[in-house]
Amino acid sequence: MESEKLREIALKINGTLHRLSVNTNWTLNDVLRNRLDLTGTKRACDYGGCGSCTVLMDGVDVYSCSILALEAQEKDIQTIEGLGGGENLHPLQSSFALSYAAQCGWCTPGMIMSAKALLDRNPNPSETEVRAALSGVLCRCTGYASIVQAVLDAARVMRGGS
Amino acid sequence: MSETLRTVGQSVPPIFGMEKAAGTVRFPADINFPNMLWMKILRSPHAHARIAAVDTSVAEKIPGVAAILTHRDVPKVLFGAYQNEIYPLDEEVRFVGDTVAAVAAEDWNIAEEATRALRVTYDVLPAIQDPEAGVKSDSPNAVLHYPPSEELRPGDIRPDQLGTFGNIIGLREGGPTVANERGDVESGFEQSDVVVERVFRQAQVGAVSHEPRACVAFYENDSCTLWCSVQDPYRLQDGVARVLGLPMEKVRVIATNLGGAFGVKVTGRFAVLCALLARQTGRPVKIWFTREEESLDSHNRSALTHYIKAGAKRDGSLTALKVRTFLDNGYWPYGGLGQNIAFAICTRPIDLYHQCPNVKWEVYVVRTNRPSTGPYRGRADAESHFPIESVMDELADGIQMDPIEFRLKNRLREGDDLCSAPNKVVSTVWVEEAARAGAQAIGWERRSLISSSNQGPQKKGIGMAMVIHSCGSNPAGTSEAEVTIDEMGHISLFSGTADQGSEQQTTLRQMVAEVLSVSLDDVGGSNADTSTCPYDSGPFSSRTVYATGIAASRAAEQAKTKVLEAASLILDEAIDQLVMGNKSIWARSATSKRVTLGELTRLAGGSISGKGIHNGKDDHLFAYGFAAAFAEVEVDVETGRVKILRLVSSHDVGRAINPMIVEGQILGGALQGVGYALCEGFYFDPRTGTALNQWFLDLRTPSILDAPHIEPVIVELGEPTHPFGAKGCSEISYVGVAPAIANAIYHATGARVTELPMTPDVVLKALQDAKRSAP
Repeated sequence: MESEKLREIALKINGTLHRLSVNTNWTLNDVLRNRLDLTGTKRACDYGGCGSCTVLMDGVDVYSCSILALEAQEKDIQTIEGLGGGENLHPLQSSFALSYAAQCGWCTPGMIMSAKALLDRNPNPSETEVRAALSGVLCRCTGYASIVQAVLDAARVMRGGS
Repeated sequence: MSETLRTVGQSVPPIFGMEKAAGTVRFPADINFPNMLWMKILRSPHAHARIAAVDTSVAEKIPGVAAILTHRDVPKVLFGAYQNEIYPLDEEVRFVGDTVAAVAAEDWNIAEEATRALRVTYDVLPAIQDPEAGVKSDSPNAVLHYPPSEELRPGDIRPDQLGTFGNIIGLREGGPTVANERGDVESGFEQSDVVVERVFRQAQVGAVSHEPRACVAFYENDSCTLWCSVQDPYRLQDGVARVLGLPMEKVRVIATNLGGAFGVKVTGRFAVLCALLARQTGRPVKIWFTREEESLDSHNRSALTHYIKAGAKRDGSLTALKVRTFLDNGYWPYGGLGQNIAFAICTRPIDLYHQCPNVKWEVYVVRTNRPSTGPYRGRADAESHFPIESVMDELADGIQMDPIEFRLKNRLREGDDLCSAPNKVVSTVWVEEAARAGAQAIGWERRSLISSSNQGPQKKGIGMAMVIHSCGSNPAGTSEAEVTIDEMGHISLFSGTADQGSEQQTTLRQMVAEVLSVSLDDVGGSNADTSTCPYDSGPFSSRTVYATGIAASRAAEQAKTKVLEAASLILDEAIDQLVMGNKSIWARSATSKRVTLGELTRLAGGSISGKGIHNGKDDHLFAYGFAAAFAEVEVDVETGRVKILRLVSSHDVGRAINPMIVEGQILGGALQGVGYALCEGFYFDPRTGTALNQWFLDLRTPSILDAPHIEPVIVELGEPTHPFGAKGCSEISYVGVAPAIANAIYHATGARVTELPMTPDVVLKALQDAKRSAP
C-alpha cells in the first residue's frame, strides 16, 4: 500500500498505550483483531448491522467496525479482554457462562460490553431496559431469554446481592 | 437406573462457557500468525458464464500481492462436501457470487484491491432463475459443464452417476427427483368428506451464523494444517489431501469451536484454495468471509413451491394426500444433498401421518443459477411441515374436529415401518405426550373463548403444529469416540465433533463421567481435530448427543471394563465385588482394599483406553424426535402485522442429559423459526440473479426486541436405543413454529397464509383473499 496512506497513531486500549502504523482506512476492529491480536472483539458484518464488534469508547458502547482507528486516538477503549479473564471474570462474564447465555460465543463479547455500558449507567435495570440497551447486538443462537436473565443476574451480584 | 444418575440429567454449566464469556475461545477467524498473508476471492458478477480469459498482469504488479490463483492454476481434481463434485476453481461460474479467482496479499486491503484489478472476460450464458421454468424441456441448462470422465480418479462420481436430466436432479428422465407413492390418491379423494387444495411458497433463507466462515492454512514440511469453520473436518481433510496430492495423515483440520453453523458450514472451495495458496507462498494464509459471502457462498434453505391436495373423512381419518414440490436447488453441480432433502421431504410427513392410506408426493429438485442450498437447521422438515401442517389444520376445521385430536388419530405409532428409513421401524413415538403437554402449557382449552371474544381490528388466535424430525438415527452417519485414562488418572474424551454452540462436548462428557462414576470436572479431552480425534461424520441432523453419545458411552464402558479387569487382578477380588467411584476402585467387602485410577493405570502399563463406534445403518430400530409447537398471536387486520403473544415448544427429547442446554437449544431454534415464519428471506433480482438483501439490516433476523416469550416444555419418557435414553433436539424446535403461527392466524381471522415469510403484505393479501371467497 502506498506510504501516504499510512499514519503513526497511538491507541489506549484496556489501559495500555499501543503505538502502531495503520492504514487510514483501517477500522478500530481491523486494528484490534488483525494488528494487536485482541480477537475477543468479533465482527460479523463490518457495517454496524449486528453489534458483535461492540467495544466501549470512553464508556460508551460503540461498533468497532464503524470507527476508523484514527478516530479512536485519545479515547479510552475497553474490550472484552480488559473486562476480566481467567480467575478474575467480571460478574457479567460469569453469569453469561453459567446460564448458557453464550451458546456459540460469537456475539457474546459484544453483548457483554453493551451490557457493561448499561450497568455502568444504570445498576438496577428492568427487563425492558435491558432489552432496549442490548437491541444493537444480534444473537442467532439463544433466543435472547438467557442473555436478558444473565444481565439481570449480574446486575444483582454487582449491587451486592447473591 | 435413573435414581443413581449423578451427572446425567444435571444442568451443569457448559464447559466452554467461561472461555466464550471471556472472549478467549479461538475461533478459526481468531488465529493469527506473524508473516500471515490475507486471501480474498473474486466473485462472479454473472449468474451463469464461462470464463474466457483472466488477465492478472495489473494485479500482479500491485505491491504486496503474493500469489494469484485462476482456474488455470489449480489442480483439476474433484473434491467436495458430499461426493467429490467440484474443482478448486472452475472455468464455468454458476451464480452471482461464484468463485472466480483467489489472491493472497500482505494485508486485507491489498488482497481486495488485487481482486478488483483482475480483468476477467466472461462469455455470458443463459441462466435459470425460476425452478418451475427450469423443468421445461426447452429451457437452457443451469449447469453446462460436467467433470469430463478422463479427469476423474477412482472413487470420483462419474457424470452418468450424477443422475441429472436437464435441470432436474433425478434418476429417470422427465420424472421427479423422488416420489413417494402408496395406495390410490384419486379413489382416496372420492372417499373424502372434505378436500383442501392449496399452493404454498417459501422463500430461501440462510442459517446466518454470526461467525463468517474463516480458514487459516499453515504449510510446512509437506504437511498442511488448517483451522477452519467447518462442521465436517474429516471431509475437508480428504478434500485438501486430494487437491494437494498429499497423504491424508499430512493434512490436519482443526474445527474445535465454530461461531454458529446450523448445518451449512461444510467443506468448500475457500478452504482448499487457502491451502493451495499457503503451499505456493510458503506462508500462513487467512481468509475470512464478509457477511455478503457468508450469506451467498453457503448452503441456504431452498426456496420451495408445493402444490398440495389433501382429503379427510368426517370421522377424522386422512384419506389422501397428493403433493408436487419444486425445490430450488441452486447452482451446486451435484445434487446429492438436494436429493437427500427431497427424499426426506416426501417421506417424513408421511411417516408422521402413517395412517393415511393414499399418498402421492413428487419432489422436483431443480438446478438454478442461484446460491447453493442444503441442510440448514430442521433440514427437510422445515421445508415440508409448513404446507402439511397448514393443510392438516384446514382439514380439521373442515370436519369440525379438534386439530390436535385429528392429528393424533392419524399419527405414527411405536414399531411402525418407516418410509423415510426403508427396512427400519420407529422406536419410541412420544408425540401425543408432547402435544398434550404443550396444549396444557398454552391453555389450549381457551381456544374457542379467545376467537369468540375477538372484536375490533386486533384478532387473537391459537394454533399448533405437530412435528417429526431426525434426532440422531442416521444410516449415513458414523461416529467414533475414544476415552483414555493416563497414568495420572486423568480421563479424556476425544470426539471428532465441532462445538458450534450446542455444547455437545459438555453433554458427551456428562455421559462419560456417568459411566466412569466420576465428576464432570474429572473429564477433559479435545474435539474436532483430525490429528487427535477419531472420525465423526459431524454435528449434523441433531446427531451428536444421540450417535456420538452412543459412541462415547461405549468407549467409556470399554475403558471401565478394562479398569475393573485390572483392578480385579490388583485387588484380588471378583469384578462383580468391585465398586468404582471418585476416581478409585475398592472392594465391596472392605473399602480399605482400594486402588486409585492413577495407580491402577500405572500398574496396568501406563494407559487405559476404550473405543466406541456408532453406525446408523446397523440399527433396525430407528429413533425420531417429535414435537408440538403452539402459538398465540394477535393479528392486526388493518396492517397485516402479526404479534406473537406466546410460543410453546414442546419436545420429546427422550431424556435431557443437560436440561439447561436442551432448553437453550429449544429456545434458540424456536426464535430462528420465528424468523423463518415472519421476517427472513433472501431475495434475488429475477433478471440477473443478484442477491438483494444479503446484509443484516435488510435480512431482518429477529433482534432482542422482536423475540417473543417462548416456553420450552420437555417430555422425558426415554429412548431405549440410547444408553441414557436421549434423543437429539437442537433443530426440531425450528420446524413447527411457522405452521403453528399460520394456523393461529387462521384461527384468529379465517385467512390462510400460504407464503413464507408471513410479512404484513402477505398477511393482508391472505385476509383479502379470505374476504373475497367468504360466502
